[in-house]
Amino acid sequence: MLSVDILLAVCLGYVALLFIIAFIVDRRTRQGPMRWLHSPVIYTLSISVYCTSWTFYGAVGSAARNGLEFVAIYLGPTLVFVGWWWLLRKLVRIAKVHRTTSIADLISSRYGKSPSLAVLVTVIAVIATTPYIALQLQSVTRSYQVIAGEADGITTAFWVAAGMALFTILFGTRNLDANERHHGVVAAIAFEAIVKLLALIAVGVFAVWGVAGGLGNVFADVPAEAIRGAGDIFGPRWVTLTFLSATAIICLPRQFQVTVVENIEERHLGTASWLFPLYLLGISLFIMPIAFVGLKVLPAGSNPDLFVLTLPLAEQQNELALFAFLGGFSSATSMVIVAAIAVSTMVSNHIVMPVALRFLAVGRTVGSDVRGLLLTSRRISIAAILGLGFLYFRLSGGSDALAAIGLIAFVGVAQFLPSLLGGIFWRGANRAGALTGLICGTLLWAYTLFLPSFGGDFILSAAVLADGPWGIAALRPQSLLGLTEMDPLVHAVVWSVGFNALTFIAISSLTGADALERLQGALFVNVYRSTGGEAQAITEHSVDTEDLYVLAQRILGRDHARRLFEEMAQAQYAIHGMPRVTDQVIARLERELAGSIGAASAHAVVTRITGNQTVGMTELIDIASETQELIETSRQLSQKSAELERAAQQLREVNERLRTLDAQKDEFLSQVSHELRTPMTSVRSFSEILLSDQDVTDTERAQFVSIIHDESLRLTRLLDEILNISRLEAGTVDLLILPVDVNSAVTGALNSIAGMTRNRKVEISFEGAEDGVQVLANDDRLRQALINVLSNAVKYNGSRLPRIDIRTHATGAHVSIDIIDNGGGVTREEAATVFDKFTRGNRGDADQGAGLGLTISRAIMQAMGGDLTVEFVSDGSSFFRLKLVRDNSLVVQQATGDD
Amino acid sequence: MTLGTDQSAADRLAPQRSNRKALDRSLALLLVGTVALMPPIAGIFLINGTILGIPFTLLYVLAVWALLVIGAAALSRTLRDSDETLPAAEDQPPKG
Repeated sequence: MLSVDILLAVCLGYVALLFIIAFIVDRRTRQGPMRWLHSPVIYTLSISVYCTSWTFYGAVGSAARNGLEFVAIYLGPTLVFVGWWWLLRKLVRIAKVHRTTSIADLISSRYGKSPSLAVLVTVIAVIATTPYIALQLQSVTRSYQVIAGEADGITTAFWVAAGMALFTILFGTRNLDANERHHGVVAAIAFEAIVKLLALIAVGVFAVWGVAGGLGNVFADVPAEAIRGAGDIFGPRWVTLTFLSATAIICLPRQFQVTVVENIEERHLGTASWLFPLYLLGISLFIMPIAFVGLKVLPAGSNPDLFVLTLPLAEQQNELALFAFLGGFSSATSMVIVAAIAVSTMVSNHIVMPVALRFLAVGRTVGSDVRGLLLTSRRISIAAILGLGFLYFRLSGGSDALAAIGLIAFVGVAQFLPSLLGGIFWRGANRAGALTGLICGTLLWAYTLFLPSFGGDFILSAAVLADGPWGIAALRPQSLLGLTEMDPLVHAVVWSVGFNALTFIAISSLTGADALERLQGALFVNVYRSTGGEAQAITEHSVDTEDLYVLAQRILGRDHARRLFEEMAQAQYAIHGMPRVTDQVIARLERELAGSIGAASAHAVVTRITGNQTVGMTELIDIASETQELIETSRQLSQKSAELERAAQQLREVNERLRTLDAQKDEFLSQVSHELRTPMTSVRSFSEILLSDQDVTDTERAQFVSIIHDESLRLTRLLDEILNISRLEAGTVDLLILPVDVNSAVTGALNSIAGMTRNRKVEISFEGAEDGVQVLANDDRLRQALINVLSNAVKYNGSRLPRIDIRTHATGAHVSIDIIDNGGGVTREEAATVFDKFTRGNRGDADQGAGLGLTISRAIMQAMGGDLTVEFVSDGSSFFRLKLVRDNSLVVQQATGDD
Repeated sequence: MTLGTDQSAADRLAPQRSNRKALDRSLALLLVGTVALMPPIAGIFLINGTILGIPFTLLYVLAVWALLVIGAAALSRTLRDSDETLPAAEDQPPKG
């Protein structure tokens, strides 16, 4: 036995650690998202809030009494996560799209944002959760008593409840996150998940190898019946338990909270789909060994529900016992915290808020600070729920009847299943069906299982339990209509869930639904289909944007409301100010509000302010027939395939272009080598002669050296030109572009080739543009291009009376300079290749350049924004045209003066 | 445990094809697990006797469980990166 002081110190220290974890994580998340917190492992660990102290202590007790049966409680969730994650994913998606904050919110939102359904689901959740919380308080109290000796159970339970309430209020209601997420709490829960797993494994390892001395000894003289349980283990009860646990992992309010509401990314479900079953396997691994070792070692009559603690204590392992106590404490506290958050959100959103909004509303606007009210109501709800749990514990006197409460609660929340599944997979499901199913199922659950669990002390007397009300045997709670040979649990599930589903389906198919229900049904069932279109109709509403803004501020907080309205205004392309009130704006606002106060309340508030139900155009399209959807789908498919076809075509074209470029590059390289080879050959041969032949005369020597010199000059020029072209073509040359007078540029070029024209007696006529026509060009480069083209016209002119006409036209934004010679021009075939590198004309004399002149000239012209082209005249002759950008800024330049 | 006939074609088309495959496979896994762990098939393995000191029935249940975990882990790879169709703008928690 440990001293009370140490135990208290450890407990307080542990709770302080939880506070610190939650506090740090909460604060850090505010500063920015924390990467590790977004890990799927944290998410999965938080789901393990499923394993309460009922698992930690109760599973061993169950294994000691009924053998393998306890496994069914973990097989259900395993099957759901392994094979039904897509159901959970759909729930997560719906919750994200519709800002759902609890299972009550989801069901009510699906069935036309019905407030009555929300209240009903909330009430059921409270009834099912309160005893469950009492069970946790009991287990903590009992374990405390076992370790610290007989203490006052009620006082202990009170302080545990108070501490949990404080923690939950501090970290569960710090702010009203639009998504109802609690990062600090989730981190603390994940930490607790590790503690409870390690504690259970530590006790298990100790039991098997420390006490029994190996696995073989654990099961040595265990009779087969101990493993099979009393009856046929794989019987109806096994099936029922698996079904119930599978249902519970979806429908329990706290599981909905951690799995759906606290989910950050959908793909985390992928990891949880195997990691959570693995966690459950780890938890269950040592349950049976602990049970059997406990049965063997501990004195007969010991409570198997506390073997996890009493086994280490009996073996004088106080530290291990303390660790086990912390494990049990963790599992109890995590359940209580999450359940309190989940249920308090429901209570405040679906019960307190609607009442408060009714009283506080003055005229059409909402009167007071809703946000503050919301926080207060949440805090009070948390305290009230834990208070209820404590009261239940106190009244039931911590009896053993509590141990069965886990399964009773499972059957209670299983009533949500038909409405939930029907709601997200069946568009025909409607509010009347859901209401009837839920009410029938819950009444039957209370009559056949919940009330009888009090053993005749509460509402139903012992006589009624035994003989039925008014002595009618057919109405006996645990054998309705004479179904006697059944396990009470199986009996209750068959009646309540069966009847629930039956009435749900029957009433849904017999009655109709209103527009909002049908709309919500379509949106929920088809949640994966993104509606691409925007609402067409922009109906101007009578409501003032200011009213909506005030409402949003009160519920969402000032900053969030401002951001939301700015965003909506931007979406309407308004630069500043408020968005116009359209259907879209109202729908968006309602969705945002739903994140804080639940769909039903948000709908009620918005409807009251706007004075009508808002069903947008897009949404109306959604309720349209299935045919519409199919048409849409096939249209999207054909669009996709057309896009693919286009992409393939583009790829083919690019590929073709690349091939051509590759071929051009090869050709260019071979031409360059060829061009370089000729001068190199003569340089080499003359220098060889100079080196080897001693009989060369001085005159010859001088001549040879001069040839070598000329040839190397030619080589350098050639290389310079090649470099020039590649720079111009790559666009790496920065040409200084300035206004240049066209006439003076042409005259300058003519002067440069004056010697050449005089030698060949070429007649030149220049028809200039009107005075002052300027072009944007680099003066030197333009002259270079002009000289190139002009000297070509001189060199390749085979006419007897060579003549060159130069004409300048200024047309619109361009100025063109035509250079026309009477040598016949180039033919159409030549025109195709005349600008290629190393192309020479086939007329003219032998002294020719490398064939790069026109290539360079065109590159220059293009670099200046102009072009050099060959133009054809109708009689078959052709001429070169230099095109330039005309400078129209003359006037402006003069006006701005010195710039 | 039926899928419901009302699930529209578009609903099933929206997740990528790989996800559909994963969905089919996970359904198969669910079916195999359910059949193996439920009567009457599970009853076949109610055999007295132990392997490595562990009762046969317990070992059977644990083995099926472990196989389910392994199967799910293999399938979960295909579930990754399926968030694309989620409207990103609506998922942002308010900052500050």
